[in-house]
Order: sequence, then structure tokens, then C-alpha cells
Amino acid sequence: MKNVILRNIENPNSHRIEEYIKAGGYFAIEHAVNEMTPRDIIDDIKKSGLRGRGGAGFLTGTKWQFASLDPKFPKYIVCNADEGEPGTFKDRVILERNPHQLIEGMVIAAYALQSIRGYIYVRAEYPHVEKILNEAIKEAYDKGFLGNDIMSKHFRFNLSVHRGAGAYICGEETALINSLEGRRGEPRIKPPFPVNAGAWAKPTIVNNVETFANIPYIIETSPKAYSFLGTKDSPGTKLFCVSGAVNNPGVYELPLGTPLREIIYEHCGGIRGGRALKGVIPGGLSTSILTPDKIDCPMDFANLSKHGSMLGSGAIIVLDDTTCIVKIYERAMRFFEHESCGKCTPCREGTGWMRTILGRIEDGMADMEDLATLEDAALNVAGKTFCPLGEGAAHVLLSAMKHYRGEFEYHVKYKKCEVTDPSQRWGHLSMGELD
Amino acid sequence: MDTMRCAADTPAPLGAAKDGASESAMLKDKIKVLKKLYPHARSVLLPALYAAQQLYGWLSEDALEEVSRLTGVSPAEVKGVVTFYSLFKTRPLGRNVIYLCTNVACLIMGADTLEDFLHNTYSLSNGETTADGRFSLVIMECIGACDKAPAMLVNDDCHFNISMDNIREILDNYK
Amino acid sequence: MVKLTINEQEVEAGRDSTILEAAKSVGIIIPTLCHTKGLEAYGGCRMCLVQIERVPRLQTACTTKVNEGMVVFTETEEINKARRAVLEFLLINHPLDCPVCDKAGECLLQDHVARYGASEGRFAEGKRVHPENVNDPFIVRNMQRCILCARCTRMCGEAQGAYAISVTGRGAHSFVEPFSGDRYNCEYCGNCLTVCPVGAIMSRLHRHSYRPWYVEKEVETVCGFCGVGCTTFLQMRAATIIRTLPKLGTGVNKGLLCVRGRFGYDYVESEGRLKTPMIRVNGVLEPVSWEKALAYITTRLKDIAKRHSPKAIAAIASGMCSNEDNYMLQKLMRFVIGSNNIDSTARLSYAPAKTYIEKIFGTAATANNISDIEKSDGIFTAGGDPTAINPVLGIQIRSAWRRGAKVVVSGQPGGLGNFIDYDLNSVPLHEETVLNTIVIGLAEMKGYTGKNPYIEKKIKALRVPCEPELRATGVLLENMEEAIDDLSRLKNPVVVVGPALLQSGIPSKNLFLVAAIAYLIDARVYLLSKKPNYRGLIDMGCVPDSIPGGLPVRPGQIKLKKGVTLTVPSDKGMNLFEMIEGALDGSLKALYVMGENPVFNLPDREKTEKALKALELLVVQDIFMTETTRHAHVVIPASAWSEKDGTMTNLGGRIQFLRKGAAVSTGRSEWRVIADIAKALGMNETYSDSKEVWEEITQISVLHSASEYEEIKGVGLMWPYGSVQFQGGAEDFEVEGLEILPEVPGRKTSEGCVVPGNKLYLLPERSLFHSGSTTRKSKAILSVSPEPYLAINTVEAGRLGLCNDDTVWVKTARGAAVVTVKIVMDCPEGVVMLSNTFEKVNFNALVGYAVDPVLKCMVLTDNEAHIEKL
Ligand SMILES: Cc1cc2nc3c(=O)[nH]c(=O)nc-3n(C[C@H](O)[C@H](O)[C@H](O)COP(=O)(O)O)c2cc1C
Ligand code: SF4
Ligand code: FES
Repeated sequence: MKNVILRNIENPNSHRIEEYIKAGGYFAIEHAVNEMTPRDIIDDIKKSGLRGRGGAGFLTGTKWQFASLDPKFPKYIVCNADEGEPGTFKDRVILERNPHQLIEGMVIAAYALQSIRGYIYVRAEYPHVEKILNEAIKEAYDKGFLGNDIMSKHFRFNLSVHRGAGAYICGEETALINSLEGRRGEPRIKPPFPVNAGAWAKPTIVNNVETFANIPYIIETSPKAYSFLGTKDSPGTKLFCVSGAVNNPGVYELPLGTPLREIIYEHCGGIRGGRALKGVIPGGLSTSILTPDKIDCPMDFANLSKHGSMLGSGAIIVLDDTTCIVKIYERAMRFFEHESCGKCTPCREGTGWMRTILGRIEDGMADMEDLATLEDAALNVAGKTFCPLGEGAAHVLLSAMKHYRGEFEYHVKYKKCEVTDPSQRWGHLSMGELD
Repeated sequence: MDTMRCAADTPAPLGAAKDGASESAMLKDKIKVLKKLYPHARSVLLPALYAAQQLYGWLSEDALEEVSRLTGVSPAEVKGVVTFYSLFKTRPLGRNVIYLCTNVACLIMGADTLEDFLHNTYSLSNGETTADGRFSLVIMECIGACDKAPAMLVNDDCHFNISMDNIREILDNYK
Repeated sequence: MVKLTINEQEVEAGRDSTILEAAKSVGIIIPTLCHTKGLEAYGGCRMCLVQIERVPRLQTACTTKVNEGMVVFTETEEINKARRAVLEFLLINHPLDCPVCDKAGECLLQDHVARYGASEGRFAEGKRVHPENVNDPFIVRNMQRCILCARCTRMCGEAQGAYAISVTGRGAHSFVEPFSGDRYNCEYCGNCLTVCPVGAIMSRLHRHSYRPWYVEKEVETVCGFCGVGCTTFLQMRAATIIRTLPKLGTGVNKGLLCVRGRFGYDYVESEGRLKTPMIRVNGVLEPVSWEKALAYITTRLKDIAKRHSPKAIAAIASGMCSNEDNYMLQKLMRFVIGSNNIDSTARLSYAPAKTYIEKIFGTAATANNISDIEKSDGIFTAGGDPTAINPVLGIQIRSAWRRGAKVVVSGQPGGLGNFIDYDLNSVPLHEETVLNTIVIGLAEMKGYTGKNPYIEKKIKALRVPCEPELRATGVLLENMEEAIDDLSRLKNPVVVVGPALLQSGIPSKNLFLVAAIAYLIDARVYLLSKKPNYRGLIDMGCVPDSIPGGLPVRPGQIKLKKGVTLTVPSDKGMNLFEMIEGALDGSLKALYVMGENPVFNLPDREKTEKALKALELLVVQDIFMTETTRHAHVVIPASAWSEKDGTMTNLGGRIQFLRKGAAVSTGRSEWRVIADIAKALGMNETYSDSKEVWEEITQISVLHSASEYEEIKGVGLMWPYGSVQFQGGAEDFEVEGLEILPEVPGRKTSEGCVVPGNKLYLLPERSLFHSGSTTRKSKAILSVSPEPYLAINTVEAGRLGLCNDDTVWVKTARGAAVVTVKIVMDCPEGVVMLSNTFEKVNFNALVGYAVDPVLKCMVLTDNEAHIEKL
């Protein structure tokens, strides 16, 4: 299998610039600056069909083109390294082990957009990453890949790290921009979109870490070579980060379109303890749960939405039959409640309300009317929030209630959990017993 | 058990003798440098708050007012920003802060039993500090270590694959 | 324009308008909570959801722009369900305490629930609790009721520029708070009160004392606290003002008010209001009937005019009174008694500045729309903090800055502090060097147009300040240069001139330099005016050298109406300073003071008191006993701002109606009393109401001849009031050679550089909270600013070893006072400041003054101060 994003990853010093260059790094930027016009680059990215890896899957080339067509100056390049979606840890691998590939991708973007300033917005929960990035940035400055005269081509691009401070919503691009500007991280009204009026009201592109990390490969090979990977609708490889009840959790770089079954049973070694699969959250906590019968779904943008879910961040959380769905969604709702920015009514008030009802169901204190209220509250949130956070909270609950209705009802009726003896849950075993 | 240690950025211990004037001057200089990173002065707010937090250990009202003066952002707005984010310390916390993830992936792997452990052993609940000031507990949303769940940060060090077997041993290293 | 369909109705709307606006234009009302006029769209409450054909989800009408061919529905079952849901969510945490909520009856949430139906109480969990905070003097915060629409915080930031409150916390735990979490300690504009749709932020002044439906009467009037002339609505019940409210989008203020306008009105009802006329008998003022008082005044005036001459009689007009009041006083003096001796405290700076600027640029120069400042691309201010003197005008500057205008400030920035690009605040007495440098720099960059050869000649004659002089200003040359650069590029600039420009240094030179800046960049000029009707009184002829309408005094006859002429007296009139001198040297025997307190408002209090004591007759017409009534022979109760009809002219030249609410006292309108006196002294005309006075004004004043009374309604009538503007222009521009300006007598010149810290100068503090004689009677205002204090900056305080709240002696050549210290950030070095508001300690008692020979304005003297810790 070809490693695009995690190339050189076996090298323990892969984060050092010398090692990165040895492995062919920073060739793409030389090639770009010497032989391509900014327009060529945007055209290539468009041709490659690269879609954003942050969750929404927007076409990266199109985004760049929009920004490049806006005449305002200066333009900003922002890397979204907020990675807050529960279950997601794929950007972390790039940030820790391959930071120069991200930087190179950003410099190429800067050249393509004639941007002079970039920021990497890193979540505060990765304290060590800020340091790795700062070192990498310094190395890149020293080698002349960043600065006021990049590769003696009078091309100027400065880059720094901006640390978040613990707010999931700041992963949303307009909230991220507010946070970058030193404000409360509440999302902004769109339009205007960041590509026209983003950071400091100037054209701004916000891309995910993994998205940027794809850029050097596309430039150094060709859009065509890139689109051979993955599927037609979803070209390229993807970092899948698998967690939960599998034998080998971790990050796997696989072509888009790899079936879920292959990921779980081949790459991750199957379900722990040989237990039965109960469900899979395929793209992070904000994506709807898949029931075991969807195990053959190819993991790409189109197929997942066909199955009523989303590729999201590629964070696969695997649940086995010892897991209580009510408990999972009570915890999920606690997350959404905690992370709701509070700007809009349905999400601010609705997530908390749903969480309390879920709590009562979990505790065996609820009746069937509560179940109806819960569903209605979720319907009242869905489709009415300002941004996708509240929307997602309602959706994931609705789909869980749809697919695991029986379990919710069992909780209400018998005031306890249907799932087998809770002492069998993994957490209660010590790690030694697992092997 | 896996640990990733991260050296710098540990705040000065609380209560250590400090020279207020020179600290203010340091903060002023630091913020002056940080301001250069942004096209508008007010955008320095988050880094400025981190700088103040690192210097003083936590963000008291006085610290917020100082940051307000140095950044030109009004005190009320500074407060609005600080309280929006969950990782600014608006209260003094213990010498060591345990950031325990309890989100779904960690929950599945038993983070709730670790929470119980902390409660039973140190009488620690979310947001609280032990009487001796040794530990504070902050319950976290996902900290991006789901493959090595359950996971936690202690100060700036990441600890992975924690279990009832090793949690005490880990915490014993923090005095 | 685009065409769309809303509820099957064809609508045409501007390309940039939202669905909400488009619907409103055809009378379709979409419910909103977070949206409000004048603030940017927010989209948070989700109340305004509408359905758009071919769009899968409901969209918010307040944020969605219209599109050609769009098909919108605003009331379907799905929409109503969504709105009910939003209301249900809001009520989850909203206490149902409407019976004890002052907002009940005018609460948007209540109204919407009434319309869409209450939820069935499915919410079984406990509500969020948050104790009501009543620790602030003005504002009660009840965060349980807050629906987090963020209107207040947006108003406070986006519109007011105060950023004093913010949403704190996140999600359902958020609420609105000032920094302290308790008292606001803000500018107290109270604009957050205007926009709160529920009872979360309420005024404390009328807490639990009324219900909205108690309001019996609402009158639209103008605020009487400063020269901006904000439109405000008095809500009354019986004779009591329940509250004053602005209306969003209305008036020059577009619905903003400042602390004085919103909370200061209670002075009208203060206990000290004068109730009956009084005459001094054996040194004691004793109540008498109106007839007796007026008869006494007329007899005495007649007598003095006969024994001495009409020249021995003078009057002081009032910037607090209406045009009609001032006109009548002027008529009494000029046309009935026959004396040009009339002036006012506008003399101290506003009037001379206005005359001077108009001589250079023509009469149009100072008549400008206040609300245009916001649209300007650059503002130069000199001579005081606009946000304290004329707060709502100051807000316009902040707002312009936020829209990208360059703001350059010479002098104290005060409330503009965070909204400026160049702070050119110099060491005291060095403003001139800074201004001079800017003029020369601009002249170099912009060149000369030849439009006004007189002023250009003077600019060319200016001396380039030398290096040590520049250094002594304390302002970086580099800063000045960049400011000059930016100023030279402005397309639509504004120059704002405050009173401090004329208070020290050589006022005429300072003003010339600022005028030269305005000339070089072709700016509109705004003169800050502390009192609401300074401009009006000047237009009414209450200056010694011009008659109503602004024409210079030329002895002879002027026509009033067919067959009636009035005689303009031939003698040169006395100005305010000359009146004081006149009283002292015996050439002035009688003084009629209307709504003014010269003892308090003029520096060198001792001298003024001595002068007034020497008079044979001092008549004071006022609403309170004051420092001046102490010396009066006759005191006449006047009517307060809320008690009379009339017109006022704001600092930009807009005439607006003052409308009568209800009278608290038995005082009479000033003009009526004066007309009675004039009648007894031989005036023929009679007036049944203030409208008839206005009509006479339009007959006699060339400026007002084309203005119709009816046209003043609404936003008022803007200069030139339909008449042809008459130009002063070049031939009137006779200012003595600036290069050879004589030294101002009494002012000690600074030799070489004033090193900061070497000398301290005492300057007046112009506070946002106080405008003098009225605000100090307002209990509400006193609750936030109860005491005088000496403002000093950190550096000086450090040098003198002073801390906040220390008690000190302030000593000058004129006197000494004991006062507490307050350390403030924006007080410049070399300066201490004291306000002229409080009875106990006032600035004017500690300093002297001299008169600028060119402008005839006042310049402070003897204000070098020594501070000693007690
Ligand atoms: C609530 C919410 C959270 C998000 N969090 C992240 C995140 O942590 N990281 C990320 O890259 N994108 C996140 N996104 C998506 C971003 O808004 C944005 O689409 C993305 O950064 C664009 O980059 P891409 O085009 O490269 O995917 C989030 C979106 C929402 C609505
Ligand atoms: S849905 Fe609304 S409250 Fe929730 S995060 Fe988005 S904007 Fe904030
Ligand atoms: S859920 Fe705990 S690290 Fe992700």
C-alpha cells in the first residue's frame, strides 16, 4: 500500500527536516515555485479531485480558487489542527511525525494564493505538538522554505502557531477564525464565506492538517497519479483512526473506499475478545452510527452518506456487544452540551435538555413519555441550529434511537441495561487480561 | 503504560516569592513580541493570556486586567473570552493538574472507573483540588489518544493506556 | 432590485436586503428576538425561521439575503412548530415571574409566547438559577431571565464602543456580565436597557415602581444635557417622569443616549427646585408674589436706566434655555432697554471659536450633521474628549474608527482611548508646537489651492518648530509625521474642536492652527458644545456684537413687521468679561442672569463674587438656588427643560423641538417672564405661546426667515433653514497678525521646555457624568459620581508618592482645597485635573483667567498647582 501522508513514518526522526528532505520532502515546493504558476497549482489541485479531510469533504481546489479570485489583500492560509472530533487522532500523527509535510503543503498553498501569512491553529490538548511545530517551523525558516524571500524567489510567507484553549467548536472554520482573532469562538454567519471575508475580513482558506499534507504529493507526482488512489468520487488515501473494541486500534492510511469490514477485521485484527460487533461510529462522534449490517460499506464520502452517515474525520469508533448505547449517547450528549457555544437557542438549551433526559433513562428514572419528549426535542433541534454542531448532536441521537430503539425502551421499561453483566465491560478488566 | 513527557511550559509553582514589577515588565515585553504575529493588536489576546497564565500560574482578575491593559481589549471582553475556553485557569489549581479524558472511546475502555478511582483515593471530583494542593482534576472531552484509551494528561505530559493497575504508579511521580 | 415572492405576494427588494427587511417592506412581520435595528445580524435566537422553496432546511430571515425569484413562506405549520420549539427551549430556563418583572407588558418573549402558544411544560428538570444583582446604581441584572440574544453586548460593543459587558461562560452556562461581575463601572449609557427584549437588564431607577401601561403621557423632546440634542421620549405619569427613552433609529442619536440623558433627568424633581419668586430684604431672600417681583424688577431697571444709562444694564443668556427664551432676553436688552450688553458663558470658548471659524470659512463651516461623522474616513480632534463633552458625538467617532477611519487626537483622548490611530497628546502648553508641525507638514504635502489667500499667507508665515521644541512636546516626531501622512490622504475628513484648545497657551493661535488643518485637508468642522443651546443663543443675538440671525450689530432701525421697526442700540456691547470688569469699576449697575451660574462657571470666583456684590441690581432666573443667587436681589423660579415648549439648536445647527412634559414646579417659562418685564418697560408685542415667539424670530432673523415652524417636526430643521446662506468670507477675516500676537496678560510663559514632572498644571476635568449645575442635583448621577477628586496619572502620582484615595491639598496662586486623589490612566503628565461640578470643591475657585486679545475668549492663568499630602 502506498503511503502518501505517512511516508517515512517508520523513521524515528521523521519530524526532522533533514530526514524529510532525504525522503524527497520539499521537492514539491521547489518544483512548484520554479516551474508552475499559482494558477497551475490551483488547476492541479482541482484536477486531483482532493476533498477536504476536516469533515465536510469540500473540494479543496475549488476553495482555493474562490479565494484566489477575491481581489482583497492580503490573504491568509490557516491550518485547522484543532482535531476536536471525539475519536479523532489522525492529525496528531502528522503533527507529531510529519510536520514538514504539513508546512510544505501550506507553503505551496501560500504560493498558489499569493498569501503572505499563515497560522496553524493547534488544539490546546496537544501541548507537545506546539513545540514540535515550532521547531519544525524554525527549521523551515533556517532552510529558507519560510520567510521573506523563499528560495530566493522574492516569495514571502510567514507562518506561526496559534494555540487554542479547549473548545471543540473552534474546529468549525468561522469559529476558528474568531478564536484566531482573539474572540470568543462562536461561529459566524455565512455568507460571507472565509474565502472572501475570513480572518481580519480578508480572504482566508482554512484546511485540515491532512488536507495540506496531501498537497506535496499531488504537486510532485501529478493530479492523475493522485486520482488513481481511492475512488472516483473520493480520490486519494485517507487516515482512518480506529478506536474502541478492536484488537489493534490506531491510525491506518488506506485508500478511500476501503470497506469497513477490511479495516476492522484485517487491519485492526477484529473485535477484541472475539465479541460481536454492535455498531460503528464511522467518522467521529458527530456522525450517525452504523449497524453491523453496514459492515461492507466502502469508506468514502458518497457511500457513507448513502448509508445515512458521513465520512467525517475518518474516526472509526467500534462498539461491541458489551456497550450500552444509552450510556454512549448520554456521554455523547454531555459532550455536545459541554461544547455548545451557546450562540443559538436550540443547541444551547436543547443539548442540555436531551442530556438530562438521557441521564434519567440511563439511571432508570424515565418513562415512555420521556422517550417521546426526547425524540421531539431532538427533532426540534435538528435543522434549526446555527451551525452543524447542534445539528449533529440531534442527528446522531435520532439515528441511535432509530436503530437501537429496543435498547432505549428496555432501559425505560426495566429500569436497567439490557447489555450483559456490566462487569464484563473492557474497562473493568486490567490490560494484562486482554492479551 | 505509555508516557510522553513534555518539558517546558510548566507554570511557576504557586506561592513562590515573586517580584510583581519585574513580572509585569516581562509580560509586557512578551506580549509586545507576540503582537507582531498578528495584523491587529487585539488578536494577541489568546497568546497573551497563555503568557500571563504561565507567569502567574493562573488567571486572576488582576491578571486579566493586566492583560486587558497590555492588549487594549476591554476587561469585560477579556473575561468573556477567558471563560469561553475550558483550558484557561481562572482559579488557582493544584500543583499537578490531571486532565482525564472520559469521552466515548475512553469511556468504552473504562475511563469512568478511573474517575471513580480518583474520587475514592483522593476525594477528587471534576474541577476540584485535593486538600494538600497536590492534584486538581479536570474532566476532559476527547484528547485525541483514543487508540491508547483511556488517556490523560498530567500537566503537559500525556499518559496512555491507563488502567486501575498503573494509574497510582503514574500519579506517584507527581508530588 | 430583485423580485421575490413572500407568502404568495410579489415583493421587490434591494439586492442587499434580507428576507426580514423585504417582508417588512410589505407589512409582513416575522417574529425576531436577537435581531435589532442598527446592529449587525446575529442569527442566534432562531425565532425568525422561514421556509424557502427548494431549500431543504428552514432559514433565518434576519441573515438570509434575498435572491431573484426566491419563494418564501413565513407562516406555515412547520415554521410555527419550529417557533414554538424555540420558545419552549427559551422557557426551559426562563423563570415565569412575570408578575414581578418590570418588563411584563413590553416583553418580546411574552408577546411571542402569546402569539405562538405556550409549551406544555414538558421540561421536568430544574431551571438555571442566578441571583438578581441589584448592586449597581443604575442597572439591575437578572440573568435568569436572559435569553442570550446578545443584543446588549452587541449594543455595548458594536454601537457604543464601550465593551463593558460580555457574554461570559459557554453554552447554557453563559450569561452577560460586566468585568467585575457586580457593578458595571462603565459609561452607563444604558443603551443595553433599550435593547434587552426581556427583563434581564433593567433600569434600577424605576424598579418595581411602574408598569409599562401606567405611562399616561409620552412626549418626544430633545435631551437637555449637551449640544448634541439627542431625541428622547419622556414617559410621564401625573407630574413625574417615569423614564426617558430613546427610540432605536430615531433622531440625531439614532436611538443612543448617554448617562446624563438617560438617567440624569431626576434633577427636575429634586427637592431644591425654586417655587416662588424672592426679593432680598435686609440681606435675606424672602418669598413674594409674581406681580411684586416683576414690578420690583421693572421699577429698578427703569430707575437704573434713567439714573445711569441703558449701558449700565447687562444680561447673561443661557445655553440651557430655549431659542425663544434667549431671543426674548435679547429683545428686552437690545430693543426694549436699549443696550448691546448681552453675552453668555458660550463666551468662554464656543462662541469665539464659532465666530472665528465662520470668518475664515463662511457661516456654513460649523453647520454639519452630527450623524455624518460616522461616515467620515478620518477625524482630527483637538481640545478635549468628545465622548465626555458630547458623548453621542464621541460615539460617532468611535464608530467611524471601527469602520476604518483614521483618528488623530491632539489633547486628551479620554473615551476615544482605544479608538485612535495617533495619540498626539503633548505636555501642557506645547499643543501649539504639535499643531504647528502638523500644519506645516500638511501644507508641504497638500500644497496651496489659493482658495483663501488670507489663511494661506498666514500658514506660509509660520515658523518651523526647532528640534528642542519638538522634543519638549513629548510627542514622537515619527508619530506626527505618520499622522500628517494619513491626514493628507483623507477624502471626507472631519475636524472636531473642543473647549480645551482655547483654555491654555495662546488660544487664538491654537485655533488658527486647527483651522489651518481643516483648511488644508478641506474638513468639516464640529465645535463641541457643553450646553445644549450655545449655538441657538448665538443665533438669537445673545452676543454683544450681532443681532438675531447673526448679522453684525449696525446701529439703526430693523424691520420687525409691517409698520413696526426696532432700534439697534449704537453703543458697543460688553462681553461677559467686560461685564465683570464693568461691575467692578462701577460702569455696570444691573445684571439680569437667566439660567446661568457665573460665580460657579467662571474662573476667578473671588473676582466674580466681588463684581456681583458691587451691583445695584442682580436678577437671577433659575430652577435652583445657586452660588450666584446668593448675591441676587431678586430670584425668579424658572421652568426646567422638561417643563416648557420651544426650540433648541444643536451644535451642528439643527433646530429641534423641546416639548413640554408636565410641570413639577410653579416656575414659569423664562421667555414669558421676560416678556412681561419687557411689556412693563414698553414693548408692544404680546405672545400667547412659544410658537408666536418663533414666528417673530423668523421675521427678524435673516437666518431663520425661511423656516416654517411645522417643518421642525421629526428630525428637526437643518441649517440653513431654507434661507440663502450668507457668506462671511474673506473680507470679514481680519485677525491680527498671528506672528506678532501679543503675550496674553497674566499668563506665565514657559521658558524653553517644560520638563514633565517639573511643574504641575491644574486643568478642568470634563467628566462624562457631569455637566455642572443640573447633574449635581441628580441623585441618580450622584450615585455613580458623588464626589470631587483630583485626577492624576500614575507617573505623577508615583513621583508625589500618592495612592488612590489619599487626601491632599491642592494649592494654586488663587487658593487651596482639600480633595481625594484618583489615579487615572489618561491624564497627561504634568497635569492634575479637578472637575467643576461639586459645591464643596470646584476648579474655578482655584484658578484665574485672562482674555485672549484676538478671540476675546478666556485663557486660564494661575493654574500651576502644588500638591501636598495631608
Ligand atoms: C462543529 C465542527 C467542528 C469541526 N472540527 C474540525 C476539526 O477539529 N478539524 C478540522 O479540520 N475541521 C473541523 N471542522 C470542519 C471545518 O469547519 C472545516 O470544514 C475544515 O477545517 C475545512 O478544511 P478541509 O476542507 O481541509 O476539510 C469542524 C466543523 C464543525 C461544524
Ligand atoms: S449549533 Fe448554535 S449553539 Fe451550537 S455550537 Fe453551533 S452556533 Fe453554537
Ligand atoms: S475519547 Fe478519549 S482520547 Fe478520544
